[in-house]
Amino acid sequence: MLDAAPPDTPLIQMLDIDKQFGGVHAVRAVSVDLYPGEVVGVLGHNGAGKSCLMRMLSGAMTLSGGQINVNGEQVDLKTPQDAKRYGIETIYQTLALANHLDAAANLFLGRELKTRFGNLDETRMYAEAKDALHQLNPNFKNLKDPVSKLSGGQRQVIAIARAIYFQAKVLIMDEPTAALGPSETAMVADLTIRLKNEGIGIFLISHDMHDVFDLCDRVIVMNKGRNVGAFRIEDVNKDDILSLIIRGTLPDEWTPRGQSA
Amino acid sequence: MVTDDGKSKLGFLPTGSTLHKISALLTLILLIVAFSFTSPAFLSVNNGLTVLLQTSVIGLLAIGMTMVIITGGIDLSVGSVLALSGVVAGLIIKAGVPVAPAMALGILAGATCGFVNGIVITKMRITPFVATLGMMMIARGIALQLTGAAPISRLGNAFGLLGNGSFFRIVEMQDNGFPKVVFAGIPYPAVLLIVMAALGAFLLQKRQIGRHIFSVGSNEEAARLSGVNVDRTKIWAYTASGALAGLAGMVLMSRLVTVQPNEGVMYELDAIAASVIGGASLMGGVGSISGSMIGSFIIGVLRNGLNMAGTSAFIQQIIIGIVVIGAVYIDQLRNRK
Repeated sequence: MLDAAPPDTPLIQMLDIDKQFGGVHAVRAVSVDLYPGEVVGVLGHNGAGKSCLMRMLSGAMTLSGGQINVNGEQVDLKTPQDAKRYGIETIYQTLALANHLDAAANLFLGRELKTRFGNLDETRMYAEAKDALHQLNPNFKNLKDPVSKLSGGQRQVIAIARAIYFQAKVLIMDEPTAALGPSETAMVADLTIRLKNEGIGIFLISHDMHDVFDLCDRVIVMNKGRNVGAFRIEDVNKDDILSLIIRGTLPDEWTPRGQSA
Repeated sequence: MVTDDGKSKLGFLPTGSTLHKISALLTLILLIVAFSFTSPAFLSVNNGLTVLLQTSVIGLLAIGMTMVIITGGIDLSVGSVLALSGVVAGLIIKAGVPVAPAMALGILAGATCGFVNGIVITKMRITPFVATLGMMMIARGIALQLTGAAPISRLGNAFGLLGNGSFFRIVEMQDNGFPKVVFAGIPYPAVLLIVMAALGAFLLQKRQIGRHIFSVGSNEEAARLSGVNVDRTKIWAYTASGALAGLAGMVLMSRLVTVQPNEGVMYELDAIAASVIGGASLMGGVGSISGSMIGSFIIGVLRNGLNMAGTSAFIQQIIIGIVVIGAVYIDQLRNRK
């Protein structure tokens, strides 16, 4: 997959990103890029700044310093709407679902379909939501129940469907399998590969080393707000990654492991 | 609940919010039956119309209050805003402006108060309870200051039309030369209430703004991340509540044909009670206009029936207080599940 040189313009370039909350420096001078059809793992322990970095890309948080380029052009992502306009969709760890609304209402929240009189087009939203959800999970029923009554897996499916329904170019997945059982985890992995093959760029935040090594083309590791390593996945093994996550440095005797490949 | 289809897995059983509404409706019917026994005059067409008239003010306030409560907020200022709107309209009429535009400006004054509430809550990040409590004092203070706490009277017959007029009023001249009212007619305020309730329900169920109001109350962060403009949605809800308080002020003052800067004290509590009895949750995300209308009528019927049964105003307060606590308790039980 990585035999060809990557295309010239990255989908996303985050350059020297800084984020401060009062005196706390959550992200320091982090640069990362993402090319079409690539999965980049963003790793680090809790509070390392990885979610914070991704929230800036999804428009949920503003930058303190640095710049973000989409397709080579500098953009200003002040709100989640801005990010969505550039095709950046996010699956949040918390799923970001309104519990009292049903699946269709959540899928189209903020981007409701309307009739030509400007009323909500419930029929069309329901039909589209049913299609989108059935593509991910053919057994998805009770579309008209409030999502608080659905299982963790069903809720996750809604959050994923919402991100991909609107033709995402860049997908940020924050711990997409944390709440899922084995079969649903496998479904998310399949989906990730499918989307990647369609040319979507994916940032995957995960704690699950198994997922990371199965799905990612590259990884970056964050520690105390800094980017402490960016590698092609072939060049590292689990021990290297764990060392970076925990200590912030590679094992002393480290050499790139994938040179033979 | 946005999709009010009532199709649960057991199709014949109503869902939670429908159940709440049905129990409220049953309560209303029980009250009517009970009061019919305690006072014979209660169950008559004329008294029915009186209840309709008396409830219209609370009902109008409850429409706006329901929207605010669904966003997870509360509006304590509506009683004072009602008075201030009346004072503004009254003073403008006294300055020589015709009734209709003066009333429109009164409603605009109410909407402005609501807008300020929204700005204070979203931009200054003051909790709705404190922000609207402040507005409650400010609006009442302005109303009293502008009038010197004295009522404005002699506003002309046209000012009384909105509150006292009615459709289909049938009056018959008797042989002795005195008119006899055959049918008191459907009061304008009742028709206005029905129209505004239908409009409010339409906005909440069928329009994007309604969907956004529910989403903000259900999960504000999720709504924001989904691209809902949370601040604008909240400002919209508080402005609507202020405008409806203004409209309620016009109806009430017009009925009295006098502007009373002291009117509407504690009306906000009746409006909140009506919404909560009708199934709105103070935690946000749940509520309906139809439920709040049932709630308004429960309070209206309770007040009217207790009056006709000769219960003192003090006892009435005690009873309504108990009803409100009971309704909130039921709401809590529902949320605990």
